[in-house]
Amino acid sequence: MSAAIDIRHLTKRFGALTVLDDISLQIEDGEFVVFLGPSGCGKSTLLRMIAGLEGVDEGEIALGDRRIDPLPPGERGVAMVFQSYALYPHMTVRQNMAFGLENVRTPKDEIERRTDAAAKILEIDHLLDRKPQMLSGGQRQRVAIGRAIVKEPKAFLFDEPLSNLDAALRGRTRLELAQLHQRLGATMIFVTHDQVEAMTLADRIVVMHDRRIEQIGTPMEVYQRPATKFVAGFVGSPAMSMLPVSGVTQGPSGARVTVDGVGDIDTAVPLPPGFAAKGASIGIRAEDTTPSDTGLPLTVDVIERLGDRTLLHGHLPDGSELVAQDTGRSTVTAGDTVRVAVDPHAVHLFDADGRAHHATGAD
Amino acid sequence: MSATTPIQHGHSRTLFWIAVAVSVLMFAPMAWVLVLSFTDNEALSRGTEAAFTGPYTLKNYTDIAGNSGVFRWFVNSLIVGAGQTAGVLVLSSLAGYAFGRLEWPGRKVIFVIVLFGLAVPEQAVIIPRHQIFSTLDLHNTYIGLMLPGMSLPFGVFLMTQFFRAIPPEIDEAALLDNATRWRIFWKVLLPLTLPAQATLGIFTFLFAWNDYWWPLISATDKDMYTLTIGIASSQVNFAQTEGLGFLAAQAVFAALPVLIVYIIFQKHVVTAVSGGAVK
Repeated sequence: MSAAIDIRHLTKRFGALTVLDDISLQIEDGEFVVFLGPSGCGKSTLLRMIAGLEGVDEGEIALGDRRIDPLPPGERGVAMVFQSYALYPHMTVRQNMAFGLENVRTPKDEIERRTDAAAKILEIDHLLDRKPQMLSGGQRQRVAIGRAIVKEPKAFLFDEPLSNLDAALRGRTRLELAQLHQRLGATMIFVTHDQVEAMTLADRIVVMHDRRIEQIGTPMEVYQRPATKFVAGFVGSPAMSMLPVSGVTQGPSGARVTVDGVGDIDTAVPLPPGFAAKGASIGIRAEDTTPSDTGLPLTVDVIERLGDRTLLHGHLPDGSELVAQDTGRSTVTAGDTVRVAVDPHAVHLFDADGRAHHATGAD
Repeated sequence: MSATTPIQHGHSRTLFWIAVAVSVLMFAPMAWVLVLSFTDNEALSRGTEAAFTGPYTLKNYTDIAGNSGVFRWFVNSLIVGAGQTAGVLVLSSLAGYAFGRLEWPGRKVIFVIVLFGLAVPEQAVIIPRHQIFSTLDLHNTYIGLMLPGMSLPFGVFLMTQFFRAIPPEIDEAALLDNATRWRIFWKVLLPLTLPAQATLGIFTFLFAWNDYWWPLISATDKDMYTLTIGIASSQVNFAQTEGLGFLAAQAVFAALPVLIVYIIFQKHVVTAVSGGAVK
């Protein structure tokens, strides 16, 4: 049976405050989708609405061929892993995992079979008789996932499950989650504000901002062809540099953009018809710049050495901030003024409304 | 690692001796009653200095077993104490769950009304309560002795705060685990409130055991006396110059269950008194 999730025109209000506004989204059966966005964008609320922990004010949610938004949480066929794990403190690991199955009167031997199988997958079979307070953060995290697995749900929902783990454990668990998804092949929705988690785990990323979906796409689509200025600034580290545009004309291979006090930048972005320079900006990622004899004059303020490359944080003559990239063996020091060339195919043009325009075929 | 300075050391020594002095002061009356309970009644009637000189005897305790209604009163106190405690725990837990975990219209207003109960002294309601119980023919019954103590606003407040402190994700996880509201309350949340229940239970039991005023009004039949009323009714002679040893033995006998409860649940009592100040 299909475990595709279909969200249609979903709206959520808390009193007079609208926290989700007309959200529509289709998630394929077996897909790993990440809801990515800053705090307060509504991503956790959306997940909780799918789980049934928040009511739906308008719209519908369907899982497979069944509409689930009128159903109570336990009858939706979803399992959720919470940020705080939400294990039952007075129960052992085994009891924690079995509780959901006992509630639907699953036969004891079946409960045991599923619990043992899940414990084996997650390598927590030696912890089954311990209580949560006797476990480390990583082990609790596994138990929480185990509790979800034994229910054999159609869809797994993860609400920032890695944010309580230390950096090393987070990286390892991320990898294990990806393996788990491959192994189970189940539909998974993962909420995070961490773009690394989103980029590494997702089949598709849903970038959310200010109650709405900004963009839905594969990690590389979101990164290389951001739909809006917000997505461009939010996804990627360091963030994309934005320079204010004062004029746009047709150049040799696309739009020629004028930045006051800096000069013209030739791009491969086709000049959109009726494109107005007022309020527009040009976006440049650090990796799309190279030190050169010609190009933008960047006065370097801070050097960030990452080993294989060096990031040059600086400003242009008009005061705009720009992050450029040099090799790992860069000899540039703070205070230097260097010239950086920009790859015309990799820049992005944003109109006054924040909509993005890219070079044709850029990827 | 921090070293203790001489000033800190002197400070803690002073505190130690103050604590010892206060402990002795608190313990002295109890020791006095204990010694009196083993002292011969006749010798005590000539003067209480007999407590230091004797003769000492177990007769006061054998007399309790023999000829007084103490055992009956003891059982009454046990029934009232246990019943009242059970009632308070059930009502406070359910009310605490409703106030602390569920959303329903009027919840905040009703909670405030319940808390107002903390501000109403027993003296202010004793006459109407007496009249109501009289009309309902509840005087001289166990229910009549237990009921007033079961409406404990403090218990509702304590349990509400405790339920509120449990992370909401626990309920949500249980909801996703297909648990009914009752099962969430019974299997998931209630076990987490056991420390609060123990505290509330101990205090309710001690209060019920030591209560004097309401049983004095409600239990007029000697067979329905609780231990406090029964012992008081034995003290008929002026200034208790006769049978002082017997009275002391009754007091020790009456205090034993409280002492046992305290010793068993000492940890919870200390937690309750410190009120979570020390985490």
